[in-house]
Amino acid sequence: MFFLMLRQSFFRGRKRKALATITIVLAASLITALMNISIDVGDKMSKEMKSYGANINMVPKSENISLEIGGVDYNPLEGQVLIDQKELPKIKDIFWHNNIVGYAPFLKVTAELAGSGKRRVPLVGTEFDRVTPVAGDEEFRTGVKVVNPYWQVHGEWPADDDGGAILAGAGLAREMNLKAGDRIRVKVAGEKGGEEIFTVKGILTTSGAEESGLVAPLQVVQRLAGLEGKVQSVSVSALTVPEDKLSRKARNSSDKLDSAEYDRWYCTAYVSSITHQIEEAIPNVTARPIWQVAASEGAVVNKIQLLMIVVTVAAFIASGLGISSLMVTTIMERSREIGLMKALGAADWEVYLLFLSESAVVGVVGGLLGCAAGYGLSQVIGLSVFGSTVAFSPIVIPVNVAISVMIALAGSLMPSRLITKLYPAEVLHGRR
Amino acid sequence: MEQIVLETKGLTKRFGNVTSLDRVDMQVRKGEWVSIMGPSGSGKTTMLNLLSCLDAPSEGEYILDGVATATLTEKQRVAVRREKIGLIFQQFHLVPYLTALENVMLAQYYHSMIDSKDAEQALVHVGLGHRIGHLPSQLSGGEQQRVCIARALINQPAIILADEPTGNLDEANEEVVLNLFQELHREGRTIILVTHNPELAEYSDRVIRLHHGRVQNDASAH
Repeated sequence: MFFLMLRQSFFRGRKRKALATITIVLAASLITALMNISIDVGDKMSKEMKSYGANINMVPKSENISLEIGGVDYNPLEGQVLIDQKELPKIKDIFWHNNIVGYAPFLKVTAELAGSGKRRVPLVGTEFDRVTPVAGDEEFRTGVKVVNPYWQVHGEWPADDDGGAILAGAGLAREMNLKAGDRIRVKVAGEKGGEEIFTVKGILTTSGAEESGLVAPLQVVQRLAGLEGKVQSVSVSALTVPEDKLSRKARNSSDKLDSAEYDRWYCTAYVSSITHQIEEAIPNVTARPIWQVAASEGAVVNKIQLLMIVVTVAAFIASGLGISSLMVTTIMERSREIGLMKALGAADWEVYLLFLSESAVVGVVGGLLGCAAGYGLSQVIGLSVFGSTVAFSPIVIPVNVAISVMIALAGSLMPSRLITKLYPAEVLHGRR
Repeated sequence: MEQIVLETKGLTKRFGNVTSLDRVDMQVRKGEWVSIMGPSGSGKTTMLNLLSCLDAPSEGEYILDGVATATLTEKQRVAVRREKIGLIFQQFHLVPYLTALENVMLAQYYHSMIDSKDAEQALVHVGLGHRIGHLPSQLSGGEQQRVCIARALINQPAIILADEPTGNLDEANEEVVLNLFQELHREGRTIILVTHNPELAEYSDRVIRLHHGRVQNDASAH
């Protein structure tokens, strides 16, 4: 009979129930959208942060101290420990291989420019945009276009297999009046250094040291330097989660973690755990996080999540108040029904149970509809703010339904105390 | 001599300084039909509220079917209402979203357990066997009142308390309801009926007239 009354009251008192449900749907959709974004914002922000460049730098473990003056390394490469280029695809073999967005190898040598008083400039060899098949991803792309999307070229990007193409840094081009299409003769410094005539394909702007030198395809620089298959450093771009207490502890030393903490740290995409795994995969390299990028990522994500919690709490309170006022009206409207139940022998708790159950049903229905609406809303927000859709997290459904029921019950609890104050003698006869 | 089902001794109800019911003594025997009459403000409804345990007296005793109710807690009064009293209202007070059958079953639910066959039989008894699936809004006033009567009877209460049961009915429906009351009386039910209608009171065994909260007259209706 209880469920019959619940069902009948729900279906035959549709208008007010619909109003209460809409109130819950509005709050639930907002909460769903914010929760969804909140969960996905780490990845989203991580992707956004990729526009600031790589967040991990790999160098040989026993890298010599460089002797750079004006961007030119006067330490000869001969005898230096370098990374074997063939080892690099192992970066995609680590536990968090799916989080590796790309990498770009670098080999930096000093070159002399003919016709300018043998001016010495840095010559950087790198990959621009190369398809490097790795296990599980035949189309994996490496190179600076992936890793450093902020690099701008006025002109054309050279092809990685174009031995005669080169980019001139914007600063160097300005000084030497270079422009796209010009030809320059470049000789790599040192006894074994080769010589090549390049065509300037474009002028490179990076806001970094590269602007004062030349950037050529990696294999050309390797050939000219006599260091085939060798690279000096590798910039890695990885999707990471923001730093927290555990990762900060591990940052000092992963040895300080107990086994449970180590497992949790290892299986979380912290920048520190990814660098650790890279070092495991490729011996003789040191992978260092670029903390400026990782830290600012964490700070931004934390602030966004805090803001979302504040908005969620505000939505909770607002809809709770809405439900509360609707409940007061409902109890007043149904006072005779309540009086009748009491006159027929219903205890207060039995009437409470009916009304709170109605609220709970409104909470469940509103919560589920709110999940659907919130999913749509999160996509709109995702597309307008991040330019991509937001992944739906299934955990949002039970959490949101539970929150919706809590809103409905919290909003109903205070007004339902009116039930105790309704005397059947008053409401049934209109007087005492 | 028939058993006394209901007895009041010095039953008094005050609301602030106003005495609504003043030292009322009365006895009702099993199977008796008693009408309570009186002008507006004479204390009829207060009397009905006290007799139906919807309210507690300020003073006096009220013994219903052997239970002294005046000193009961609210929870105990709820139990007495559930077990011993069948209520019939002038405004029917049916739950609008429940069908005729479900409205009758509601009284069963709060009493003990539901039995749809018994509830259906009660509706057949009041001539509504063909209307069990209808909502109150789909029933005429007379039909609604008959549902109300079926609901009052379903738990076999010790007494039936009716407040102006024909007050909202047209002549034809009034007659139907009156016939039902006569039938209940013939079945040996104890009925206390509050009414303004002298024609209705004529059918009862006894008429108690109230005036300013006091019993002015307690005599046979015939």
